[in-house]
Amino acid sequence: MAAASLPAQIGKVGLLAAVIIAWQLLALRGLPDYLLSPVQIAREFFTALGSQELYVHAGTSLMRALPGFFIGSAAGIAFGLAAGVSRRFDQTVSPSVFLTYPVPKIVMLPLFMLWFGIGDLSKILIIALACFYPTFINAYYGARATRSILVWSALNMGAGRGDIFRRVVVPSALPQIFAGLRVSLALSFIVMFATEMINSRSGLGHLIQAAEASLRFDLMYVSLVTIAILGYLGDYLLRLARGRVLRWQEPEV
Amino acid sequence: MKYLRPALLILVVLAMWELAARSGLWNRLLFPSLVRIGAEFAELMFGAEGLMQAWVSLYRALGGFALAAVVGVALGMVMGRSAFVAGLLDPFFSGTYAVPKLALFPIFIFVFGIGSLSKVALIFLECLYPIVIMTYHGARDVNRVLLWSGQNMGASRAQILRRIVVPAAAPFIFAGLRVALPVAMIVVVITEMISSADGLGYLVIYALSSLKTDQMLAVVIAISLLGLALDRALVLLRNRLVYWEKLDAYYV
Repeated sequence: MAAASLPAQIGKVGLLAAVIIAWQLLALRGLPDYLLSPVQIAREFFTALGSQELYVHAGTSLMRALPGFFIGSAAGIAFGLAAGVSRRFDQTVSPSVFLTYPVPKIVMLPLFMLWFGIGDLSKILIIALACFYPTFINAYYGARATRSILVWSALNMGAGRGDIFRRVVVPSALPQIFAGLRVSLALSFIVMFATEMINSRSGLGHLIQAAEASLRFDLMYVSLVTIAILGYLGDYLLRLARGRVLRWQEPEV
Repeated sequence: MKYLRPALLILVVLAMWELAARSGLWNRLLFPSLVRIGAEFAELMFGAEGLMQAWVSLYRALGGFALAAVVGVALGMVMGRSAFVAGLLDPFFSGTYAVPKLALFPIFIFVFGIGSLSKVALIFLECLYPIVIMTYHGARDVNRVLLWSGQNMGASRAQILRRIVVPAAAPFIFAGLRVALPVAMIVVVITEMISSADGLGYLVIYALSSLKTDQMLAVVIAISLLGLALDRALVLLRNRLVYWEKLDAYYV
């Protein structure tokens, strides 16, 4: 994109600011109970930051989302790379993965609850299952898209199969793998939230559900703001890691 | 030969399942036999009740998806063709992209009521993101030479939009739609599991709480097949409309 013009620069912050100001002005005229004004939300959020409850719930949620994300992504990357380099493995595994890709994985939650109990294990595993697919597909494409000329050059210079995989295939697949990780991370938060809303006694999803049931609108917004910040922060950290690992690559547009 | 190995994998998994069901090591509730699941599935498929619930879920998912497709493509197109609008909206979409919109559901229930509308609204919101972002990229990165040629030959702005920009962005639009469609299915099932009295998601929870695991699995299979069928239908439509660009052969 061409350098952003001045009006576009103003627009960047302008729209968000305009929405918030309009919202606040509407609140002055009186909103229904379930819509808090931005100032009220900010006040409730900072009050909640002082209490321990919020940290406990956020911690519980993260202890579900992150292990699920790591397990699912690690498996997805490993299988995806393997399918990308081995034709036999590709033919065996890939069709099943692509076939089940459009299936909403969350429907397996009740089954997982029966098998692994209603505790954290079933939640972590369902998050891992959801995270597996985007990372698998991206690692697979990344590995497949390795330029043959690079592989040939490495072969020519006497590299072994292991060397080629480690020094050629993996680096050339990394940008795609990071794209997959980004989708997975967002997905892990969504699935975490869903499992907690459906069945849980702790975590941010439970907090928002309990707040709704008891008409504690303040708590509802606190939970909402917390999950938004966590989601944004996770994405930011991932982009930071991507920038470090892929320093040799041009930044993503 | 091409289908032998994947089919073998699926058969092995199914055989292991049936073995686990018949071994008696686990409770029948944990591994219902395939025969029972099949019977329940047939009842779901051919009974009025099952079809009703599937229809409810389907119209919610497709309603939200269609709304997001119309609004998302329009927004993405405008963003792609106007730097000002892009500067206005892009920070908003990329800033809130990683935030789980599902967290808004309780508020949506208060605003739109407990019926279909709150679910459709959430599906709309979740589907909007991939469609807008992909359409925006497609409309922005139109080959400049094509635009210049069009202008040179005296095409009007409307003609350029219709004959150059839309066809150039079409593969991107369909890529966005293809990401959004499973999202619509996920969200409709989740919202129905959380709060609903009808739909397939509700049926899953209902079967689970009455410990009819065979029925629950039948519904899970129905949801999976529905998701798969919708994806196939979208690919067919895409290949018909965007016939000049082949979809990646592995990913069909």
